[in-house]
Amino acid sequence: MSDLEIWIVIVSLAIATAITRSGFWLVGHKVTIPKRVQEMLRYAPSCALAAIIAPDLLLDGGTIHLELANAKLIAGIASVAWFAWRRRMLETIVFGMLLFTALRLLPGLLHSYQ
Amino acid sequence: MRDQDFATHDAAAWRDGFRTGLPTLFGIGAWGLVVGVAMIKSGLTMPQAMGMTLLVFAGSAQLAALPLIAANAPIWVIFVTALVINLRFVIFSVLLAPHFASLPWHKRLGLGFVSGDISVALYLQRYPDPEPAPGKVSFLKGLLYPNCAAWQIGSVIGIFLGNAVPTEWGLGFAGTLAIVCILVPMVASRPALCGVLVAAAVSVLAAGLPYKLGLLAAVVVGMGTAMIVEETGDKLRARRQENRKADHV
Repeated sequence: MSDLEIWIVIVSLAIATAITRSGFWLVGHKVTIPKRVQEMLRYAPSCALAAIIAPDLLLDGGTIHLELANAKLIAGIASVAWFAWRRRMLETIVFGMLLFTALRLLPGLLHSYQ
Repeated sequence: MRDQDFATHDAAAWRDGFRTGLPTLFGIGAWGLVVGVAMIKSGLTMPQAMGMTLLVFAGSAQLAALPLIAANAPIWVIFVTALVINLRFVIFSVLLAPHFASLPWHKRLGLGFVSGDISVALYLQRYPDPEPAPGKVSFLKGLLYPNCAAWQIGSVIGIFLGNAVPTEWGLGFAGTLAIVCILVPMVASRPALCGVLVAAAVSVLAAGLPYKLGLLAAVVVGMGTAMIVEETGDKLRARRQENRKADHV
């Protein structure tokens, strides 16, 4: 793509963000949402957050990894437990990153000592 | 309540919002850094990458656009992809818009534009009801502005570090962990837990769908599941109560 085309893409991405994020803020009070739909939407944030992180935890290049060698999955599960216990977010992120890094490097280290 | 009270700056509420979002800023910054690195590694020039991070401010849409730019995809395809990836924000804005309907339009446009996933989830935990309350706007700003700043700073650092950060470090995982922490308290009820588990499963199984439609499918199916579980729970409770009444008679 030429420089100009890339800038057009960037502006069109900004417009897409504005439409989806702000569109309803601008016209929302003119639209009435049925009560049932509103009740259902209460669950949207948690479902969206889960749908964002689940592929990162379970997928690697299109294949599902449920085994112990999946460092992200193990570190993710351990972080859930750590947060449920300690209730400290920053601490949980540091703990999870350290565990993830350790799990990622461990097989190589073990291998080099063999 | 007068609109002025609702919108006037409330320093205590702003700080409260800032403190609520503070623990997530590290994860957000790391996420921004990853996107910044990805933009440079995919071949964008430094001005293009800076322009993208400052104008677009939507990490997943940016990440999805990069391979499409590299593959010379038509611009409308990239636009539609970004719309679909961001569709969850339409749902978020349906929830948030009634809270701020009385603000002038340019403030609604601006606040809406910087409302990311994590900030919206944290805001709705504090203020589930749309009635105007003093300090609401300041609380939201205390969440949104630092969140946006952390993202932009991380992203700019990523752009400058460019190729120096190895992909294997998996820095983006910090963003996933920040979301894990927000999600854990949100699944306290059985309907919410069922919805989240189903949404997670659908998002993994439908990850291969074009335009990232799997994310949208996951949200819709997850919400529906939570609703069905909630309603069957209500019905069971009602029946149990009736049975109890019948026993007493």
